[in-house]
Amino acid sequence: MAFSSFFRNPSLVFSASILLRAVFLLYGLWQDANSPMKYTDIDYYVFTDAARYISRGQSPYARDTYRYTPLLAWLIYPTVWPGGFWFSFGKILFAVGDVAAGWMMFRILKEYRKMGDERALKFASIWLLNPMVATISTRGSSEGLLGVFVTALLWAALAKQIPLTGFLLGFAVHFKIYPFIYAASIIWWLDDTRTGSKKHTRLALAIYSLLTFIGLNIAMYAIYGWPFLEHSYFYHMIRIDHRHNFSPYNTLLYLKSSPKPTGLEPTAPSLELERLAFLPQLLLSAVFIPLALAKKDLPSTMLAQTFAFVTFNKVCTSQYFLWYMMFLPYYLPDSTLLQSPSIGITAIIFWIVGQVAWLQQGFQLEFNGYSTFVPGLWASSILFFLVNAGILGVIIHDTKTKTKKTENRST
Amino acid sequence: MKQRITYVVQNPEEFSPEQLVVNNEGDFGPSFTLKGVHAAKEHRITLSLDELPKELSKVFQQWHELHIRWASPKPYTATPPFTSRVSPGLHVFFTPLDTTPENALCETLRSFVPGDLTNDERPKCSSTNDTSIKLPILSERFSMSASSQYYAYLESLNYFIGRFRESFCRKRMQCYENLRQFSSALYIDIDYDTISRTVVLTAGWPRATGAIEDGWDETITLPSEDATVEIGVLSHEPNSDPEDIQFGGFLTVLGQDERPKATRFQTPTRHYPLLQSSSTATLNPHPLTFTTSFNQPTGLHPTLTLTFPSQHLTPPNPSCKLHTHLTLPSALFIDAYQFSDALFLASKNLKSLRSLAGATDLEAPNWVVQQWGSAALFQLALPPLHHASSNTQGTWNSSIPLHLRYLPASAASHTSVPVPWPVVFWACRAEEGAKQSSNPFDRMHLGYEGLFGPKTRFMHVEPSGASGHIEGAKSDGLVEWIEVPVLDTRWSGWVEGGTVGMVVLAFLGLCWVLFGKTDGRREVEREKKKQ
Repeated sequence: MAFSSFFRNPSLVFSASILLRAVFLLYGLWQDANSPMKYTDIDYYVFTDAARYISRGQSPYARDTYRYTPLLAWLIYPTVWPGGFWFSFGKILFAVGDVAAGWMMFRILKEYRKMGDERALKFASIWLLNPMVATISTRGSSEGLLGVFVTALLWAALAKQIPLTGFLLGFAVHFKIYPFIYAASIIWWLDDTRTGSKKHTRLALAIYSLLTFIGLNIAMYAIYGWPFLEHSYFYHMIRIDHRHNFSPYNTLLYLKSSPKPTGLEPTAPSLELERLAFLPQLLLSAVFIPLALAKKDLPSTMLAQTFAFVTFNKVCTSQYFLWYMMFLPYYLPDSTLLQSPSIGITAIIFWIVGQVAWLQQGFQLEFNGYSTFVPGLWASSILFFLVNAGILGVIIHDTKTKTKKTENRST
Repeated sequence: MKQRITYVVQNPEEFSPEQLVVNNEGDFGPSFTLKGVHAAKEHRITLSLDELPKELSKVFQQWHELHIRWASPKPYTATPPFTSRVSPGLHVFFTPLDTTPENALCETLRSFVPGDLTNDERPKCSSTNDTSIKLPILSERFSMSASSQYYAYLESLNYFIGRFRESFCRKRMQCYENLRQFSSALYIDIDYDTISRTVVLTAGWPRATGAIEDGWDETITLPSEDATVEIGVLSHEPNSDPEDIQFGGFLTVLGQDERPKATRFQTPTRHYPLLQSSSTATLNPHPLTFTTSFNQPTGLHPTLTLTFPSQHLTPPNPSCKLHTHLTLPSALFIDAYQFSDALFLASKNLKSLRSLAGATDLEAPNWVVQQWGSAALFQLALPPLHHASSNTQGTWNSSIPLHLRYLPASAASHTSVPVPWPVVFWACRAEEGAKQSSNPFDRMHLGYEGLFGPKTRFMHVEPSGASGHIEGAKSDGLVEWIEVPVLDTRWSGWVEGGTVGMVVLAFLGLCWVLFGKTDGRREVEREKKKQ
């Protein structure tokens, strides 16, 4: 069959994934040049503006809403060179990063999941041939670049390249903060190594990652000063996230941050439980899941962590789905979601229903001006949250029972 | 105290000098009477600081300069030379002194707006520095502009006039009478600066109050023996100099002149009337007008559309560029980055975003923004020539995409936000720019002249009174109201409990899956059902 022979040939799959991105990139250039509606992500204009500020010797934070490490603007520095090609350099870099991440997934699946080429390519294609992934990187969103760092981190950890793992971890946290949750699972997982010097390994990892993280931050602070800390770190802690998004906390945060109408009787003092929203999120993603699962299976643990982090986060947009999508190829092959089609199909249908319900309510608010905050938008975000929690339950359960299953299979 | 009252006759052919009567021997002193004069009127009172009550004089002395501009949302047709406009509402342009207290602006506002300014329903005012916005100034060297701007939408000045009457008039009948008249004015300017140390109060009426056919029927008397009252009854006359306007008519200094004295003068003008170019002998207003509307539904990204009759949309002079100046309350904002793309601008029939000042944060909700809002200047694109000639009945739309901030949750599904109509004008080159201020009717500090070079004249496009033509749009003269969806607190009682409950439930359920005893697949299914 042509279809199966396609997946037997790595060069075909990778060529197809490159072609997919090239087509999207070219289409984007065409749309940008011919339509007032831009294909390019708004964030890409933020990055390239920031790079332009850097090229003039200014701070990237001179650009409003630049909330990233200055390294990102430096990475895409060539976008300030004249010409349309160089302006697309960042998108090309992100797309190359995508394909590189897919290649690493392929290698990890072969080496650490003991898959043959065909099976490994099929599952790596969840990433490589995913139009959503290709779209996000060719539109110029930096989430695509994260895939290459985090997948490299996983690979380095699995290969027990401790200095490299530490460096990648420190770098990824500097870049996007949330990968700090992987520190717990990798360190806990390393404990499982049979070598005698496990204490040293963990300590070494901690030192390498901290040195990288602190070193990068000191360097950036030395060059860009307070705005660097303010925009790339503190902003994320003090932001209100009042605008509608998929997070279950969204309506509550709008309600709580909104000033109370004056002239009314003061209502009963609120418990301000929303201030504790980080607790279930961090307990699950950075403590409980690593403790309970890391030793069974590192990639699936990282998937569960990321899934928990995104599901319980105070803000959630569709780009965040990419964060956990990069771990699906390692988990799905033995998962209940694939083994039991009824559960798998039910899960995907519920997930889609949750999305569609939310998007419909969001559209009514954003474009038709209906006040759908309550109950519509709130209820659909809670529904979506519960569906995600259910899927997370399946992932956790699968990972937890994994050793048993693999043992059963080997006997 | 000096007073200057100017009537500019709307139709010179219907006017005759017999309609003016001077009587210097009346029981109440000298008087000047108009009988049924159809005219636009401007009343200017100039007071030195020591003529004001102490507390009022102190208010002015806090500032280096202070220029208050108020315009009514009621539509009107302007008569030259009173053609300049500001968006309806209360504008305050000022330059503080080093010693100006931080609450000076809000204290001043309190005399205009009743109630508590910290209340969210009211115009915003927390402190002079935080609430006002800095005016970008193009020509620093020549600029006479104030440094800061404040704006609040205010439908009428009745509250202010009432307060002013109480503290100022002190049983002087003339004062009561003047203020009663001022309450029917459609625009009022108050100007003060430290150099002249005078307060100038100017009120304008585009036509006589009362029935349309009546015209002005009034008698002006001297308020006190040492007061000067100068009354002009003028008409706009054709003039060959392209940058001058000319007036002829009668001037009367009350108590000095026995009869109205004939006069004729010409002057360069900053606000040049937009006239029909075909006829030089008669002066007809240009048929170009505009309307403002919002595309419905407005959603969270309202688009403001300016509509023009395309056949009249040709520059009055090759140097003229069409501009619009927007005054936006903080509930709305402009994303300047959108306007850097040529295709995007062209699709909206815009040329460029020339200037943007004030609250431009792209993420902040309205309750976090302390500034009153923002002001923007756009240059508009014109229809291509073939479009204008072939499409004689058509209209030309320029649209400006705006974005709404989140507004506080309230016990209703929507909150209404007023958006005053912008001003639209041709900005044209003026060789005699420096002489414009010699015009006795010159008007400055409108928020946009400082954005142009000194050699600029403005030809204003009249807003068309007939608005509200779009179904479903709430319109009230020269102001549009946007319904902003907000979180309805009548429904939100269970949001906190519901959210926290569901999160705790999911958290406990997941902990159970993590740490509970494993019993194969059934548990997963149970877990899923539970969710």
